[in-house]
Amino acid sequence: MPVRYIGAAIVFLSCGGFGFLKAAHFRREERLLAELIRLLEQMQSELEFRLTPLPMICEHAAQEAAGSLKAVFSALAAELEAQVAPDASACMQAALKRVADLPENLQKALTMLGNSLGRFDLQGQMNELCAVREFCASHYGRMQENRDARLRSYQSLGLCVGAGLAILFL
Amino acid sequence: MKCAWKELLAILPLRLRADVDKYGKDTMQELRLRLGRPPEIVTDRGSRWLPVEVTAQDLSFVVQTASKYSPWAASTVAKGYITAAGGHRIGMCGDVVMKDGSVAGIRTVTSLCIRVARDLPGIGARAAGISGNILIVGPPGSGKTTLLRDLIRQISDSGQAVTVIDEREELFPAGFMQGRRTDVLTGCGKTEGMEMALRTMGAGCIAVDEITAQEDCEALQRCCWCGVRLLATAHAGSIRDLRCRSIYKPLWDNEIFGNILILRQDKTWYTERMMVCR
Repeated sequence: MPVRYIGAAIVFLSCGGFGFLKAAHFRREERLLAELIRLLEQMQSELEFRLTPLPMICEHAAQEAAGSLKAVFSALAAELEAQVAPDASACMQAALKRVADLPENLQKALTMLGNSLGRFDLQGQMNELCAVREFCASHYGRMQENRDARLRSYQSLGLCVGAGLAILFL
Repeated sequence: MKCAWKELLAILPLRLRADVDKYGKDTMQELRLRLGRPPEIVTDRGSRWLPVEVTAQDLSFVVQTASKYSPWAASTVAKGYITAAGGHRIGMCGDVVMKDGSVAGIRTVTSLCIRVARDLPGIGARAAGISGNILIVGPPGSGKTTLLRDLIRQISDSGQAVTVIDEREELFPAGFMQGRRTDVLTGCGKTEGMEMALRTMGAGCIAVDEITAQEDCEALQRCCWCGVRLLATAHAGSIRDLRCRSIYKPLWDNEIFGNILILRQDKTWYTERMMVCR
């Protein structure tokens, strides 16, 4: 009998935990996107006023960022400094391979960024950075719509499914 | 002799680095990469061809790495060259993009000429003893920049403050000794640079590499009339060549340069005076 209860509790907690984990992933993606938008703004300013070379811009971004984005920009700066890859896009691909567990949309934005870097003159590069920033901003905007309701539903759905399964189990 | 060799190798495609290092480390003056043809290592003794074919990816790699993947930081692309780390100048040929009547960039690069920057401390010692303004002339590859670099260093160490307008960032790349009283202004045009040095740096001597435009000559005149000593280089095979180029006329007419050092292709030089035939 107690084994059943323990099993039901595990099922309930697992489902509930999954819901909370999903909500945590949502918050993390949201935070990373906001950070990337801020970094892109800084990169634009660096480019516009100082014409800073790409490896230095990436180093600055790495210093400004935290967590996964810090790792991505550090790896990108290192790849650019190593002068082994044929272009900045290949450097970004190598950097993304080094950093696991990035949300899909963030990976997409960073790949877009990598494909645009180092291919154009100043104005072209500014336009490309702007396009990546808009992509991030629109996704961030979509995430903000019904944000609280969505977070609540992830958590409560997890708990409800867990409770349902636990009842069936019992 | 000093040379930023590691920096040079770093901009070359990986498959060429070992061969270039093996055959060109001490003697290479130029490396020429032409699309679909073997790379040519040019030394003072002749050429050596490497047994591979240059691809478009190789050329793109050199341009990307030399500009640190940052075309906006290498604004000289529109002028047909990039200066890589270590002061190595990379001349480019290819499919040029024109915008509003002037060159905006190079769409497809088909040839590159990588000129190795070498520092030879001491070669300017004899020239440093010459007083007054000095113009160094010589054909391409005769060593004008190398001589100017050491001349600046010698004059600077002997007690005169020298402001260098290093538009192409070739004269004093990182790692090259500048001299105790040398101030270097990089990245700006010669005309603007000379005005800035004159107004803000209290320069006793101003040095510029490769005068190529009328405006440069006019700026040199203005500096000279302000009592500043001038050091400069110009492309010309002889005094006669120099006289034939109309942009240098104001320099002749006003006898701006008292001394002209003429470099020969074998890197030796002799002095002539600049005088107006009246």
